[in-house]
Amino acid sequence: MHTQRILTLAGAGLAALLLSATTLNAKTFVYCSEGSPENFTPALNTTGTSFDAARPVYSQLVQFVRGTTEVTADLADKWDVSEDGKVITFHLRKGVKWHSGVNGFTPTRDFNADDVLFSFNRQWKPDHPYAKISGGKYDYFSDMDMPKLLASIEKKDDYTVVFTLTQPDAPILSNLAMDFATIQSAEYADFLMKKGAPEQFDQIPVGTGPFQFVTYQKDAVIRFKANPTYYAGKPAIDDLVYAITPDPTSRLAKLKTGECSYIFGPRPQDLEEIKKDKNLTLLSQPGLNIAYWAFNTKKPPFDKKEVRQAFNMAIDKEAIIKEVYNGAGQPAKNLIPPTIWSYNDKVKDYPHDPEKAKAMLKAAGVTTPLDIDLWYMPVQRPYNPNAKRIAEIMQSDLNKIGVNAKLVTYEWGEYRKRAQNGEHMTAQLGWTGDNGDPDNFFFLRSCAAARDGGQNITRWCNKEFDDRFVKAQQTTDVKTRTKLYEEMQVIEKEDAPDFPIAHSIVFEAERANVVGFKIDPLGRHIFYGVDLK
Amino acid sequence: MIRFLIRRIALTLPTFVALMFVTFVAIRLVPGDPVEVRVGEHGISPERLAEFRHQLGLDQPVWKQFVDYVWRLFHGDFGTSVVTNQKVLTEFFTLFPATLELAFCALVFAIGIGIPAGAIAAVKRGSTYDHMLMGMSLTGYSMPIFWWGLLLVMFFSERLGWTPVSGRIDLIQYYFEPVTGFMLIDALLSDQAGAFWSALSHLALPAIVLGTIPLAIIARMTRSSMLEVLNEDYVRTARAKGLPPWRVIGLHALRNALIPVITIIGLQVGGLMGGAVLTEYIFAWPGVGHWLIDAISRRDYPALQGGIMLISSIVIIVNLFVDVLYGTVNPRIRHGR
Repeated sequence: MHTQRILTLAGAGLAALLLSATTLNAKTFVYCSEGSPENFTPALNTTGTSFDAARPVYSQLVQFVRGTTEVTADLADKWDVSEDGKVITFHLRKGVKWHSGVNGFTPTRDFNADDVLFSFNRQWKPDHPYAKISGGKYDYFSDMDMPKLLASIEKKDDYTVVFTLTQPDAPILSNLAMDFATIQSAEYADFLMKKGAPEQFDQIPVGTGPFQFVTYQKDAVIRFKANPTYYAGKPAIDDLVYAITPDPTSRLAKLKTGECSYIFGPRPQDLEEIKKDKNLTLLSQPGLNIAYWAFNTKKPPFDKKEVRQAFNMAIDKEAIIKEVYNGAGQPAKNLIPPTIWSYNDKVKDYPHDPEKAKAMLKAAGVTTPLDIDLWYMPVQRPYNPNAKRIAEIMQSDLNKIGVNAKLVTYEWGEYRKRAQNGEHMTAQLGWTGDNGDPDNFFFLRSCAAARDGGQNITRWCNKEFDDRFVKAQQTTDVKTRTKLYEEMQVIEKEDAPDFPIAHSIVFEAERANVVGFKIDPLGRHIFYGVDLK
Repeated sequence: MIRFLIRRIALTLPTFVALMFVTFVAIRLVPGDPVEVRVGEHGISPERLAEFRHQLGLDQPVWKQFVDYVWRLFHGDFGTSVVTNQKVLTEFFTLFPATLELAFCALVFAIGIGIPAGAIAAVKRGSTYDHMLMGMSLTGYSMPIFWWGLLLVMFFSERLGWTPVSGRIDLIQYYFEPVTGFMLIDALLSDQAGAFWSALSHLALPAIVLGTIPLAIIARMTRSSMLEVLNEDYVRTARAKGLPPWRVIGLHALRNALIPVITIIGLQVGGLMGGAVLTEYIFAWPGVGHWLIDAISRRDYPALQGGIMLISSIVIIVNLFVDVLYGTVNPRIRHGR
């Protein structure tokens, strides 16, 4: 009896020692993020901060290859597209486990087709039991035109789901790799509904992703732990901590002192300091965005191609990049950024040539001085740090060719509304890509969007361009699509409905001991595949 | 005393009503509404915009929105955040302990240093110490919080490595669920060795930054009040009786000199709440100040209105309490003489 007790105690002691050794060796990765998420259901959200907070927990049917905009398998391990492009059959991965023990929930089954139906029907069908929970605004589902595109989503068997579309749509796979298409647990939803606390579904997430949710304290911290049952293998880091730090100066200070492993968006003025510090690594990548200056082609003299080309030559783009972007931008010549497939690098931008611009205006029959308006956004955007300053530079350049530009702005909501109604002669605006598909940019110059309230504020509708746009939308072959998009960039450059200003450059920083992080063209932060040396 | 209390409470009622009105109107003067702020470049169809505005009650005339708001407020309903969909009251009281802990420590720092420093300056009037202290307090009073906070972080955290940059506790070493919301107490309750020290070291810089302005004010007030009291007859009498100087100054003079200082301390509570907004932002302190900034940028009307109402109520109540305390210390006030 006595010996048994000693053995038990020794065993317990050893276990405790092992446990403490494990705790000591646990790898904790701290990401200093800039804010709190709205909740943990991506379908309800629109901000990168909220998507980042939910992403470690979840998976989608398909996903973007880390660090690219290429679509690959996730919860669906393969899929078939019908001849007419209208039916997509997803074959689901078997044996995928839901996180267990979160919020008192223990799953009784693996991921299956019911979860896919639940996740999409919640956003699609207003009579779904979860449709109205947590405010029920599914912005991205609606913005990506899903209600218009979807004819039905059916479960063929537990591991086969069929999406039927109203029309062929090549970009839909990219849409399904977006955060709004995250797959959530139907069983967990039922469990909470029975418990009378359905709103917890969006606050305490249960997913199939690489990390399991542990806790969230608003404005302070989000904690996750590695999911040992993740279908692609347990993450290299044991604990993932999001330390919410809104001030960029504090974030950098924390990175320097080792309180953070990785920080979101350092300030442009701190970049040199980061580069010099041997304990830190600076990462950069062109942002998936475009800032442009649109000419309203329905208003004279911008209905003439020569005038629009002349305006393209009048502005000193390099000066804008240097003065306004402060090193965090690159001049744009196409609508899509160079990180997107089908970017046509052969397109030649208009040179900065005020004399030629003047001559072209004269040849086009424009009498100077010409009065125009030049709208600029009242807010800072990811693609445009200071629209007013850009407008001032443009105003001064235009003055040199005999054009008087009156600077105009409105409150941001009002600005967009008026620009979309075509009230401007020229207006600055821009776009941040959602899914890395060229279609997600080129629709900005499509004929369908050149209407009142549409996104094409140039009101330019070019048949050659638009035919290709529609054709590319209905073709799944990437080679064919690439060719069409490349041609569209040549057409757009020649017709010059806009003056592409810049693509921003995104900077992030990490400690030198972080390995494997890939900066993401979509601005997402993914910590699966990351390790600490 | 009761009559005094009733009179003071009656006086705060119009302040509450004015507050309700001002917070309600002020946020609506800022261009953009919660739906438009959310939308971005994607734009929104007029039908969806109308639907969301209806859900949030923004399609009603402003006067009706105000009446509804007051009605709900009187029923204890502060509304639901349009961003997180959580009850404003729940969010506020989850975050408020962090602000309270910070403000309390800042005040302790300000009082603990301000009163003795001011008293010594008064006693040593005209000395180098006096001049130095008054110069420093003027500097402290004029210090921009944001700049001061970053300066301290650069020196103590980055250069010397004495204190952490921001947050409330070392997130890698310690993990425990909040019990009270006050990190110092929770760290003690967690029984994790070193957690309390970690929480204290995280609190040091934000408390100093937030406490600097009140410290300067309290030190100056104590000094001038002490100077006045030191010339009083009873102090001269105490000295004449041969009492030791520490008794004359510490007991007779300082106690009486503190009466106006109490009022000043009460008034600092409002200032501390204002200062907390910036301090919390710099130090990633998860309190209500930080939360309010976020609510402004997202035009979260219910959170902003509710938050300001709650903070203002706390300031009003503290001031009421100080008035009562003052009335107790100085009966002449209580009787309206």
